[in-house]
Amino acid sequence: MAFVSSGLEQFAPARVVFGAIVVSMSGIALLLVFIIVRRWMRTRYFVRRDAIAAYVRQHWEALVSGKLLPTNFRTDGLAREVLEAILLDRIEVAKRDELPLLVDCLRRSGVLDVRIHEARTAAGWRQRSALVILGRTRAPEAVPALSDGLESADVETRVAAVRGLGKIADPAAALPMLERFTDGRMEVPWGVLKNALLSCSARQPEMLTRYLRTAQGTRRDLLARVLSEVVDSASCDELLILVSDPSAEIRASAARGLGRVTAEIALSPLAQLASDKEWFVRLRAVVALGSFIEHGALPVLVRVLGDRNRLVRQRAAWALIRSPHLVQDVLREVVAAGDDYGLQAVVAELDRCGLYRSVLEQLKHLAADSDQLTGSLDRARASLLPPGHPEGEPAAERTTKEAWVA
Amino acid sequence: MIPLLNLSNSVLFVYYLISNLFYFVLLITAFVSAARHRQRLSSLRLETLDDSPFTPPISILVPAHDEASNITENVTALLSLDYPALQIIVINDGSEDETLEVLKSEFALRATSVLYVPQIASAPVRALYTSALDDRLLVLDKAAGGTKADAANAGLNAATSPYVAVIDADSVLQKDALVRIGAEIFSAAVEVIAVGGIVRVLNGSMVSGGQIREIRLPKRPIEVLQVIEYLRAFLIGREAWSALNMLPIISGAFGVFSRERMMRVGGFRTNAIGEDIDLVVRMHRSLLQEHKRYRMPFVPEPTCWTQVPQTLRALGHQRARWQKGLLDVLWGSRDMLFRPRYGRFGCVMLPYLWVFELAAPVVEIVGLSSIILAAVLGVLSKTFLIQFAVYGYAFAMLISIGAVVQEEITVRRYHRWTDVGRLLLYCLAEHFPYRQINMWWRLRGMWQYLRGNVAWEKSERSAFATTTK
Repeated sequence: MAFVSSGLEQFAPARVVFGAIVVSMSGIALLLVFIIVRRWMRTRYFVRRDAIAAYVRQHWEALVSGKLLPTNFRTDGLAREVLEAILLDRIEVAKRDELPLLVDCLRRSGVLDVRIHEARTAAGWRQRSALVILGRTRAPEAVPALSDGLESADVETRVAAVRGLGKIADPAAALPMLERFTDGRMEVPWGVLKNALLSCSARQPEMLTRYLRTAQGTRRDLLARVLSEVVDSASCDELLILVSDPSAEIRASAARGLGRVTAEIALSPLAQLASDKEWFVRLRAVVALGSFIEHGALPVLVRVLGDRNRLVRQRAAWALIRSPHLVQDVLREVVAAGDDYGLQAVVAELDRCGLYRSVLEQLKHLAADSDQLTGSLDRARASLLPPGHPEGEPAAERTTKEAWVA
Repeated sequence: MIPLLNLSNSVLFVYYLISNLFYFVLLITAFVSAARHRQRLSSLRLETLDDSPFTPPISILVPAHDEASNITENVTALLSLDYPALQIIVINDGSEDETLEVLKSEFALRATSVLYVPQIASAPVRALYTSALDDRLLVLDKAAGGTKADAANAGLNAATSPYVAVIDADSVLQKDALVRIGAEIFSAAVEVIAVGGIVRVLNGSMVSGGQIREIRLPKRPIEVLQVIEYLRAFLIGREAWSALNMLPIISGAFGVFSRERMMRVGGFRTNAIGEDIDLVVRMHRSLLQEHKRYRMPFVPEPTCWTQVPQTLRALGHQRARWQKGLLDVLWGSRDMLFRPRYGRFGCVMLPYLWVFELAAPVVEIVGLSSIILAAVLGVLSKTFLIQFAVYGYAFAMLISIGAVVQEEITVRRYHRWTDVGRLLLYCLAEHFPYRQINMWWRLRGMWQYLRGNVAWEKSERSAFATTTK
């Protein structure tokens, strides 16, 4: 104890405390001054920014058409920032014929040059910010600077470059990403990359197929997934090959993509995928088949109602009752198939959508075989309800007590 | 007696210096981290998530027990969130008021037989309902489980998304909160297991159509003091710990978690007093045991507005419960302390929580009593006593004002000079006598826990202040 006391005395607590008071008080004063000065500066900044924005909007036509040269914007940082913000916002919603004029204005004002320079020479957040802004300009000359950003050692900078290239939304911007990605030379979060590739390859989906052939493993899965979102009937040849791919992820992407092409091309491969050994491939195929119910998908979907996976059955039921005018035919097919699980899935889906009663009424009025159909439906529905449960109120107790098996 | 007093004073002095050093480091780390985050935002374009087919779906779980007064506003707000792939699951946890009836009438609920597999145990689910107005809404009616954790577990079973957000039914999420959280998950280079947003005080603000229309500081001093506490806890504490990837808690009022990881750790522990901190610590444990690389970031922009206690009594109960929860979790995870296997979480975070969070009420109350006694007995120089008190007061104020500055720099919700002025003024009042009362509540919480009183206490709820603006 004496040791502690003497140690503290040597430490001179009073002096330490006095110093700490001075430091704390100074800190408080600094923070208070910071709040006041910052608020004051922000007020001034917004007043000036609003004035510049008003000037730009007043002279918008002249600035965009080139009649008024925005020379002073080259030297005034805030003015350039305001003009850039307004131009970039307009570019995001610009029509095809308006875009070249806006990009020209960016060039004349010097904004583009400044950003290209920053993207190449700056570091840290300034570089990353410049890369994203360059992408938003949609100027073709921004692509090389953005491609250089992909080589950065810093992952955040690479992400910004990928975002920028995605914003360009042009096939030429996809190439640097695809080359580096398929070679395994570029590591970025895949969500960001998928978004960028999606927007760049939307106009030319077939550009993905060349890289799909050379990519390996999960990189190939990613490309197939992107392809499935952009593919169309004119570019679906590769997709048809992927239907028999050894990778289940790729087959699921193929199923997803086939939902985007015409029924003539898609029906047969989707029927094949609906019998796949992996449940999620079958699920994707069923969802895609839902788009073709009026073009011959009905028998396949009725067959899938007997799938061993409950989610697949549910999804098939969902697809089958999407067209109200086909519900009678659907029910007739399902009852004829004699599959209790399938019929229960359809009834549960009708219940979930609140359509059960109205469909029953419809059948009574329109169908010649209404008694047989409604009887089957009621029996299927009764089997879903626990004994003694009031009709019309399917209980979930059964689901918790008996744990429906997926 | 006197040597004992001397020792006690010395311990308090050293404890105070070290804890203040910690807080100062946290303050600086938070400032740096927030600045970096703002710079990062400049290269982040949120709108890519809105129309992307790759955006990860999120299920929002809303445990509701006797929430009839707020539930409509809350669910309406959730349905209007800016997020493209959303599922909202309200879990009516055996409410004795009109919660379920209000939901049925407001959202045209109908009973349904959708798939529900009770992978994680909870009190029995009586019925499931979907909405005829919006098919993203699912309502689970279950027997009362006695805890929010039990209700959240039932919701977790019903959730179908890879990420789940758990929010309180008396809270309002800002429209872009999930997009901002989603952006963090979407663009992370390392797997994101959980993300915490900021929880802010709703009291005093105006709500209409489930959205905040006007942000105001509350009128009651007790509520304003909580505003400062929340700012300090989130914008200094969590910001700093998140920067060091040691976030110990993601608030139960608003957090997004990987469903797969939640299922792997068995969901919420139903007998946990602080189910949020308990879950996060168990997640850290499981990930560190598996040697996974992961992140659990805090993001300051996604905001959840929540009602805080309006009376001293209710606040006292809440703080006692939080302290009980902390003790419960720390005791349960004592085997992680100083084990290299648990990395910096076991070697820095947990010891910090033991020494500077859990022990704080004991040290402060015992220390203050001994200092006063020593001064009365003439053992301690009165000048030193005054200097020490001034230092403690000034330093605590520095941290609180630092939190207000962080608010100014990051999200800046209080635009009026009067609001900022009031906040700064209350920073003065926060450390005497509120801090001492708070310590007393926390001490009481520890005492209750040690005596085995771990019962869940129902909190008071009031309807949101609404406006026609």
